[in-house]
Amino acid sequence: MTILRLRRVEKHFGGLPAVAGVDLDVEAGEILALVGPNGAGKSTLLKAISGLQPPTRGSIEFDGRRIEGMGAHDVRRLGVAMVLQTPRWFESMTVEENVALGSLFGSVGRRPSLSTARGHARRALEFVGLADRAGEDVASLTLHQQRFLELARALAGEPRLLLLDEVMAGLNDTELQASIDIVRTARRELGVTVIWVEHVMKAVMSLAERIVVLNFGQVLADGEPREVMTDPHVVSAYLGDEIDIHG
Amino acid sequence: MSGISTQSTSASRALELFGAYSPIALTAALLALVPLRYSDSRTMMTVIIIGMVFAAYTIAFNIILGSTGQLFLCTGALAGIGGFTSAILTSKHGWPFIPSIVLGTLLASAIGGLLSWVAVRRSLDAIFTGVVTLAFSLSYENLVLGRKDLTGGENGLRVKAAADTILTTRVAPYYVFLGLVVVYLVLYRLIERSHVGWAFRSLRDDEVAAELSGVNVTRYRVYAGLIGSAMLGLAGALFAHNREFIAPTTFAFGAVDVRVLVMLVFGGIGSMLGPVIGAVALTIVDEALVDFAQLRIMLYGIVIVVLFLGFRRGVVPSVAALRERLTHLGRRSTPAAVKPPGSTPRS
Amino acid sequence: MKAVFLDGIVLGLQMGLLGVGLTLIYGLGGVLNLSHGQFAVLGAIVMARVLQHGASLWMAVPLGLLAAAAVAVLSDLTIMQPVYRLRGEARVLLGLLLMLGVGTIIDGYLEWKYPIEALNIRISGDPISIIGVPMRVGSLVASAIALAAGAALFVFLRYTTFGRATRSIIEDEEGARLCGINPALVRTLIFGLSGALAGLVAVSRAMTSPVISTAGVELTILALIVAVVGGLGSVSGAFVAGVLLGIVNTVSAFYIGTYITTIVLLAAAALTIVFRPAGILGRRA
Repeated sequence: MTILRLRRVEKHFGGLPAVAGVDLDVEAGEILALVGPNGAGKSTLLKAISGLQPPTRGSIEFDGRRIEGMGAHDVRRLGVAMVLQTPRWFESMTVEENVALGSLFGSVGRRPSLSTARGHARRALEFVGLADRAGEDVASLTLHQQRFLELARALAGEPRLLLLDEVMAGLNDTELQASIDIVRTARRELGVTVIWVEHVMKAVMSLAERIVVLNFGQVLADGEPREVMTDPHVVSAYLGDEIDIHG
Repeated sequence: MSGISTQSTSASRALELFGAYSPIALTAALLALVPLRYSDSRTMMTVIIIGMVFAAYTIAFNIILGSTGQLFLCTGALAGIGGFTSAILTSKHGWPFIPSIVLGTLLASAIGGLLSWVAVRRSLDAIFTGVVTLAFSLSYENLVLGRKDLTGGENGLRVKAAADTILTTRVAPYYVFLGLVVVYLVLYRLIERSHVGWAFRSLRDDEVAAELSGVNVTRYRVYAGLIGSAMLGLAGALFAHNREFIAPTTFAFGAVDVRVLVMLVFGGIGSMLGPVIGAVALTIVDEALVDFAQLRIMLYGIVIVVLFLGFRRGVVPSVAALRERLTHLGRRSTPAAVKPPGSTPRS
Repeated sequence: MKAVFLDGIVLGLQMGLLGVGLTLIYGLGGVLNLSHGQFAVLGAIVMARVLQHGASLWMAVPLGLLAAAAVAVLSDLTIMQPVYRLRGEARVLLGLLLMLGVGTIIDGYLEWKYPIEALNIRISGDPISIIGVPMRVGSLVASAIALAAGAALFVFLRYTTFGRATRSIIEDEEGARLCGINPALVRTLIFGLSGALAGLVAVSRAMTSPVISTAGVELTILALIVAVVGGLGSVSGAFVAGVLLGIVNTVSAFYIGTYITTIVLLAAAALTIVFRPAGILGRRA
């Protein structure tokens, strides 16, 4: 089943196209990696889907509903949750409250009660391994824990589509493995579909089932990881960026 | 859940409720004692009644600025909408007292909500909110001065609808406005503890993160505009009937907005009791400086500059934080912390 | 009708000049100067006092402009410094509140010392006919001052090194720094220029109607509305918006009543914010 359908999506900044006509169908339950050189429009595309920066042109259909004109909060309530590259959090709230907010306002369907939301938050924190930090300030967490916190805030609303924006940049090997495990478990246990922008090729090759390469705001290649990454077009687009699919 | 833990939950819930509302009861009890000292003097009673009215204004302003970060520079005008609407309806159209107040409150609320809605639809919120609300303040003043047939213009308007009620006696109005302050404080706490309060906190901390978490930032800002403006309108309307006379100066920008801002910043933006503390402190300072009344406005300006440069979180919270640091009272408590056994921290 | 229209242009040029001063500071420092009108009134009262001591207009006006510019520069060099260290919303909010404080201080001082002072500049001469409407000389001189100031500003921003530096900072502060421009210095000088422009507004206004010591808040609000409708940070936008709003103002005052004009201006600002947030000349976002 196709859960997300993009047609001729464009996003311009001051007349310059960052995304220049993208068509994309994403199947429910897929883990799709969105890769490409810097400035290829990957993050912009995610932000367009999430409603954070609405597209200039084109249509985005999620689960059969057009969402391209909606605000980010409405998109989230339909079940599309996004995790930003640079973590943003609510500084007046504890770790658990940060996540509970994601359940309170970001759940699909009816808004849960405060105590239910706190329950969801504890489960989500458990899931990402931050349960023991529930009562602390977010500022006391490491960068990678802060990203897990955002992931927990996204998962607390039980989304159907998860958009991850370079959440694995700058992690060490252990942290990287932990992140990969969490995304994989989330898909297995919650059935969530994942679209994931990433530069860390090792992670991409180990986690992605499908890779879409963007270049100059357009789809350059789309398919199985090994197939795509040996495509001569892709290799030449990456020329200069070192590409090492074996890590 | 086992019986024991349910019991301890309901006990801790009772304790939490007590912790949440007892400061309001304590404040009310202390403020209720004030007239014991001043009930002989009509002048002093007027001073402390106005102090309570300003406490009410400031709590309302705190919901708008403190909870959702909207700089409404039209608190006086919104209170004036409540005051003049109610006054005109009773004195020119023969409306009864209560419906006129209800309508004044609703009108202020609608205007405040509209201003909020216009301003928060774009980024640069603080600027657009400041501009449209200031422009509204000027519109309101020109309207009051221009529509002499309704408002009496510079000569003001007599308000007689409450002449035979307790609102115009010497001491009782103080308790009416104290009651209003208590109701506002309880409302503030109720909002704070509800999902609306969670939304307020989230959008004040980080708008983008709030939107991504599913919070409709525009909608909750407008809610704050509606609620706070209704509170301003109601306080203004009751004040008009208490004074029995209103003029353009009663709710003027210089007379209300600047004072309310000083009170809020002094007491602490975004804290429940801050507005009351600020109102009490400023009323005392004003009384002490009664012989230098002409200097007052300039002094307010200096206070605004000094407060924002030195104590951005408010004087009371800053002093409290300083004391906390000195005595190592430590971090804030977090009752919700759950520590499942055996979970290992990742780093 | 023609006369109302021309009066609108006279008022509009003053409003444009008022908005330009505000928009310059906003463009440079991200500070919305809520005491702009008070700077103008301060300049006016200084001029009025100097004139009362028997000095000529040629003496009074420079002193008044200097006073307004000095207060502006002083604000920039002292209380605005912590503001520039902040970013984003916090910067905007703190700058706005501090300038509100400064405005209140000036208001309070003037109300205390010179509660009934006013600046009134009379230019003698027979009315001059413009497209069949006799216009007072004062109105014409006032408009000429505003036009000349606007033109001078345009030339300054476009053709002088310092002006180009100013524009480059408005467009991109980081980039300007990399080009060796010192934003702090430019900002201070532009604060002074903006203060002097405020004083000039007082001069040109005083030729058509008295500038009273309590007019500060009203002038500030007018400046804000003009700057927002013109698109914050846009100098030409502010001028065009000023002229348009001046005409709207006079026409609505003529047909409905003076009390309605600010409501009309408020509506103009609100509609701009909702439909054209980048201002009337701005590109759509």
